[in-house]
Amino acid sequence: MSRDKIRILLCDDHAIVLEGLRALVDGEEDMEVVGATTKGEDVLAMVSELTPEVVVLDYELGGIRATELIEPLRAMPDAPRVLVLTAYHDGETIRSVLEAGAEGLALKTASPQQTIAAIRQVVDGQLVFPQAARRWREARGAARGGASELTGREREVWSLLAEGLTNVQIAARLTLSENTVKFHVQHLFQKLGVKNRTEAALRHASPGRATNGPPPRR
Amino acid sequence: MNTDEHKVADASLRLFAAGERELQRIVLDMHDGPVQDVFAAVSHLQLLQRELADRPAEARRAGQAVQLLERALSEVRTLIGVFRPPGFERRALGAILEGLCVQHEAMTDQPVELTMDADLGDCELPTQIALYRILHEALANGHRHARATRQTVSVERHGAEIFLTVTDNGRGFDTPRVLAAEADVGVEGGHFGLRGIQDRVAMLSGSFSLDSTPGQGTVLRITVPAVR
Repeated sequence: MSRDKIRILLCDDHAIVLEGLRALVDGEEDMEVVGATTKGEDVLAMVSELTPEVVVLDYELGGIRATELIEPLRAMPDAPRVLVLTAYHDGETIRSVLEAGAEGLALKTASPQQTIAAIRQVVDGQLVFPQAARRWREARGAARGGASELTGREREVWSLLAEGLTNVQIAARLTLSENTVKFHVQHLFQKLGVKNRTEAALRHASPGRATNGPPPRR
Repeated sequence: MNTDEHKVADASLRLFAAGERELQRIVLDMHDGPVQDVFAAVSHLQLLQRELADRPAEARRAGQAVQLLERALSEVRTLIGVFRPPGFERRALGAILEGLCVQHEAMTDQPVELTMDADLGDCELPTQIALYRILHEALANGHRHARATRQTVSVERHGAEIFLTVTDNGRGFDTPRVLAAEADVGVEGGHFGLRGIQDRVAMLSGSFSLDSTPGQGTVLRITVPAVR
């Protein structure tokens, strides 16, 4: 049963917050805290070792900003989803967290239950930010070539294309006609703003490609 | 202005910045202390509440404590939102004002339509502080008092001056009466913060106009020098 639990790493430089949140999260039936630290500099090594699905990072970790950790986290194989915890909900904080590539933001000035809910939402593939950040969210999608507009089928085609499959092979794998695959590939190129299969594959391999986060776990 | 008047004006503007530094300190203290403690306490209490599932009376009491602490957190959230200075010395005026509009939207769930010159140019600290605090007050007024459902903000630079216009579709008010009521409010400030807005504009030798009619929304226009 425990294999189905959401594996979580918590990082907050306030030991009392870490202790409280750890107890609360561990009490959730579908969650398991696999590690917790007050030191931002330990996060990357702990993620490598413990392979959590979600990392909850305090916005300010002593001398390190959570936003500085997000890029190296996203570059890791099996990159975890990142939820940033902060007491500030001003435009600068929201924007910096969004632009750094986190999947969500949870407030320390709101109920910890909202942090729990946000963990589930990011695991489900949602971006958890205030509605007001929509302009920046849209801009983030545009900057990454509109990956947010991809349909589920286009994402499947994209993955197979990135594995090096030809249109004929993709058609066989997805039980579609070759023409239908061509159609999807054409749309995929348009939405990603790329010219050929190589560019599309490279984009697929780059960290943070999926504007709406990785596909849902469940 | 003669030399003495210049000294007074300089001192007033320095007080602007000093006030912001003081706010920064208070907000940091609130962030590092009560916010962390209360958040941690609520986490423990929520767990306790769940563990007391078979003792309904005790669970209910824990639940009441959770509600009280969550209300305290929510009040702290508002205070931090209102008072935390936005990093005036690190960030450009445009980014600061845009961030303020987003924060207002996030807190109120009401849209703010912002149009702004791409580059507002150099702008001195007292002007940045004044524009930020004025916009903050204007957006809060539109939401709190005028019950506006739509607010628009425009920020433009013409020559050495910044023009800020804030409009809303709220219920409006009798401008002369409200301005007269706020003419000589003391330390506690007026109901609408209009005295504070006018004082900030006056300190920068800018101009202020307010057009409002009951039932027809409000337009606030501010012009202040970007640099002195």
